[in-house]
Amino acid sequence: MVTHGVGGVGSDGGLLRRAADWRLAEGRGRETVATGFPSLDRLLPAGGVRRGSLTEWLAVGAAAGDAGGAISLACAVACRLATSSPQASTIVVVDRGARLYPPAVMPWLDALAGDTALTRVMKPRSSPQLVVARPSRDDDEIWAIDQALRCPGVAAVLAWPGRVHATAMRRWQLAARTSGAVGLFVRGLSGRPVAGSPDAVRREPTWADVRVAISPVVGGESAAELSLRRLRLSLVGGPWSGDMPCEEPSTEVLLDMACGRESARRHRTPVWHDATERFQPEGVACRAS
Amino acid sequence: MSRIMTIWLPRWPVQRRLLERPELRKVPVFVCRRERRGVMTVVAWAWAAPPRAAEPSASRLGRAPLTRIPAGMSLAEAMAVLSLAYGSRACHVAEVDHDDPVADRIALEEVARYCRRFAPLVAIEDATMGGRRGPHRLREPECLQLDVTGTAGFFGGEGPLVRTVVWTLASRGIHVRAAIADTPAAAWAAAHHTDSLHSAAAAVRPQPLARPLARPLIRPLIRPLIRRHGRWAIVPAGTQLRVLAGLPATALRLDAAVLAQLGDVGIETIGDIARLPRKSLASRFPPQLAHRLAEFTGERAEPLVIPCSGELPAASHAFDFPLLIRDTTMDDLVATIGPLVRECVVPLAALGKGVMSLQVRLERSPAGEPREACLPAIIDVGVFQPSSSPQHLLELVQLRMARMRLPREIEGIAVEVISVGTVLCRQRTLFGEIAETSASQVGMLFDRLSGRLGRGAVFEPRPVADAQPEHAWVAVPPVVTSLSASTVPVATGRRGRTEQPQGQQSQSAGRRIGTLVGDATASCRRPIWMLPQPVRLENVLVVPAEQPESLRLSPSRFRIGTQSYEIVKAHGPERIETAWWRGPTVRRDYYVVETSTGGRYWIFRRLRGASVGRLGGEWFLHGTFS
Repeated sequence: MVTHGVGGVGSDGGLLRRAADWRLAEGRGRETVATGFPSLDRLLPAGGVRRGSLTEWLAVGAAAGDAGGAISLACAVACRLATSSPQASTIVVVDRGARLYPPAVMPWLDALAGDTALTRVMKPRSSPQLVVARPSRDDDEIWAIDQALRCPGVAAVLAWPGRVHATAMRRWQLAARTSGAVGLFVRGLSGRPVAGSPDAVRREPTWADVRVAISPVVGGESAAELSLRRLRLSLVGGPWSGDMPCEEPSTEVLLDMACGRESARRHRTPVWHDATERFQPEGVACRAS
Repeated sequence: MSRIMTIWLPRWPVQRRLLERPELRKVPVFVCRRERRGVMTVVAWAWAAPPRAAEPSASRLGRAPLTRIPAGMSLAEAMAVLSLAYGSRACHVAEVDHDDPVADRIALEEVARYCRRFAPLVAIEDATMGGRRGPHRLREPECLQLDVTGTAGFFGGEGPLVRTVVWTLASRGIHVRAAIADTPAAAWAAAHHTDSLHSAAAAVRPQPLARPLARPLIRPLIRPLIRRHGRWAIVPAGTQLRVLAGLPATALRLDAAVLAQLGDVGIETIGDIARLPRKSLASRFPPQLAHRLAEFTGERAEPLVIPCSGELPAASHAFDFPLLIRDTTMDDLVATIGPLVRECVVPLAALGKGVMSLQVRLERSPAGEPREACLPAIIDVGVFQPSSSPQHLLELVQLRMARMRLPREIEGIAVEVISVGTVLCRQRTLFGEIAETSASQVGMLFDRLSGRLGRGAVFEPRPVADAQPEHAWVAVPPVVTSLSASTVPVATGRRGRTEQPQGQQSQSAGRRIGTLVGDATASCRRPIWMLPQPVRLENVLVVPAEQPESLRLSPSRFRIGTQSYEIVKAHGPERIETAWWRGPTVRRDYYVVETSTGGRYWIFRRLRGASVGRLGGEWFLHGTFS
C-alpha cells in the first residue's frame, strides 16, 4: 500500500503511476460493469465498476443524518450490478444502525430487473435479491462485510462503516477479488459514532480502487421535481491528486429517485477536466491523501 | 409422585403458517377444511396483530367486536363475523389456507424435539384423548407433555422452569401456555385455563374472605397460581382436585355427547363431577367420564405417547473424565463434535434429506457446581436451506461457540438433529453449474451471517400494502432459491389512505389516491434512511402568506438539536391518514424539504383534531433522502 507523504513519491508520482500499472495487470481480466450513470462511467478510470473491487463514496455534504445522496447513488449502482449478472444477483446491505428503509430501494431493483435484457432470459432463481444484515457491533459489521464479499453469489455489498483499519480493508479487497463481488462503502457520515468528518476520511489510507466524493447541488430543480437529485461527483485520491487537488476530475449526475437511474431531463454539461486520457490505464492503487 | 408439564400451543395450524410466513402476521389467517358437501369450515383462525378498535359502525350500534369464531363454523359465516367486527377490508386481506394435519404434526414433532432441552421425556398429546368436536371429528393435537419429575431442580424450581419454557418458545415465535401438575390430565386442564386460574387467583388475593375459616384453606392453594402473566400455572402436588375444581367440564377432554349429557343435568365444573358418587358414574354416564376423572386424579395411569415416527438421528460422546474447557482448545472441541455431526448428517444424506436445525448439547459436569448450574450448554444451529454438508454445519457450530460462554467442565457432548428438509439434488448441467454453486454459497452465507448476528438480524424485506410508512414492509427470512418468488404474496390491496389534501396542494392538481407499494411516484417520496422513531422538530417556522404560492403553507425553517436549517424547497403535503384499527388514527402531512445546505429530509406534521387545516401541530423528522 502506498501512502501519501512518502518522500519524493508525491511530487514525482512515478511510483504511484507504476503501482497503477501493476494493478492494471490485475484488473484487466475482470469485467467492468456500467453503473447506469454515463457521467459517472466517464469519470471512473475503468469506465465503470470493476467486479471484485472496492469503491468508496465520500459523503461530503453529509449533515444531520443526511448523507447528501451518497447512499442513494451507491444503492442505485448496487442495483445495477445485481441485475447485470445471472451468477451474482444478491445485494447484501450491512446496515449498521438499522437505518435503511427498504421500500425506497425495492422498486429500483424491480424496475432494473424488468428492464435489463439479461434478466428476461434468466431463470427465475436468478432474480435480484436484496438482503439486509443488521450487526449490532463494529466488529460484527467488519466481519459481516468480509463474509459477504467472499461469497461468489453476491453482486454487491453496500455498507456505511465508520473508521476502518487498513488491515480490515485490505482483507475486504482480497475477499472481493476472490469472489468478484463489489464493495460499495459510504464513508464520512456524521451520524456514525466513530466516523470522522469527510476530511478525516480523506486522510485515511484505503484499499479501494476508487474514491468518489459526493456532494449535493443546491438549487436547480423546482420544488415539484424533488424526486430528482443533482449530485456533484469528484474523484478523490489516486495519482491524479495529492499535489494538485484542484485538478480532481468531477462531474454531475441527476439521480431520479423514482427508479434509481440517471434522469435525462435537463442534464447539465459536466465540469470535466479531461482526466480520462491521463488515467486511462486504470484505476488505481490505494492511497492516503 | 410424578410431575407433568403440558405445553399448549393454541391454534397450532395457524401458528405453524405464521412461523413459515411471518408476513401473514398482519392479516387474518384462516385454516379451513372442505367438508363433504363442499362447504369450507374453519379449523382454526388467528390474527396476530389484530386491530384494537372495532369497526366504528359496529361500536355505534352498541355491538361488541365479534372476534370469537369457533372451530367448525363455515367460512362464509366466519367472513361475515369478521366483516362485522373489523370491516370489509379485513375480509379482503384475509389469507385462507387448506388444512394440512400431516404438516402440522411434523412441525409439532419438531417442537417436541426442541423441547427435549427441558426434559428427556417429551410426548405429544394423543389425538384420541382430546375429545371429539363433532360426531366423528377428532381434535388435532396441540399439546406437548413433558415429564419434569426431578428435572425442575436444574432450572431452580418449577416456577423458573415453566417460565423458561414459555419465554424460550416465545423467543422463537411460538406462543404457548404451560402448566405443571401431578397428572397429564390435570396439567392439560390447567394449561388450557391459565387465564381463568390467573383471574381467580387475582380476585381472591385482594378481597378479604367473608368466612375467615376458609382463608387459610384457599389462599395457600391459590397463591402458587398467582403469576404476573396468565400464560402459565403450577398446581401444587396432590391438590389438583381442589385447585382445578372450578374449571369447566370441558377441561376433562370429554366428547361433545358426554358434555351435553352433563349439561342436561346441570353439571358444569370438574368439582361438580368429583362430588358425584363414583359408583353411579359408570351407570349414569358413558364410561369415558369415569376414565377421565380417574386420569385427572391420578387413580388411573395415563401413558405418554412419545413420537416415534420419523425419529431423527442423534449422536453423543461421553468423556472418561470431565473435560476442563480452559485446558481445551476450540479445535479439540470441534474435533470431537465433527464426527458426531457427520454421524447425524450422513444417514440423512443417503435419504436425500438435509439438516434444517441442529442442537449440540455440552453436558456439564455436576462435580463442584450447584445443581442449578448443571444445565447443559445448548448450541442451536439453524440454516435457511437443508444442508447435508457436515463441514458447513460444523462451521456454524464453531461460530456460535466462539460467542457463547462455555461451561467450566463438560462430561459429554450430544448432537441431535431437530428438523430436516429435502435436499434438492439435480443432475449437473453443462452450463448452469456456476449459478447452482453461487446459489448454494449464498445460502451458506446467510447461515453464517445469521449464526453470528442472530436469526432476526439477517432478513429479506418484502413490501406490504400499508399506507403507514413504518408498516409498509416486513422482514422475512432470506430465501435462497427464488422459487418462492412465485409464492410470495404480491401486495395488491391497500390499507389506509394517502392523498394530497384539497386546498393545500402545491403543484399536483386534484386528489391523488394511490397505492404506496409498487407505485413509482410514491416510492420516490420515501426516504432511503428512516429513523426508528420520528424525532420531534423544534422551532418550525411556517412561511407567511405573502411568500410565493409554491411555498405557501409549508415549513420554512426547523431545528435539530442546536443546528438550525433553512428550507429552500418544499414539496407536499402528502397526507397519510390510516391505521385506525391499530389504535389512535395516524394523521400526518408529509413534506419533502431541501435545506440550504443541500440536505433532503422527510418531515411531517401530526394532525390532531382542531389542528387539521391549520398550521399548528407538532412537527417530526422521519427520514432523510441520503
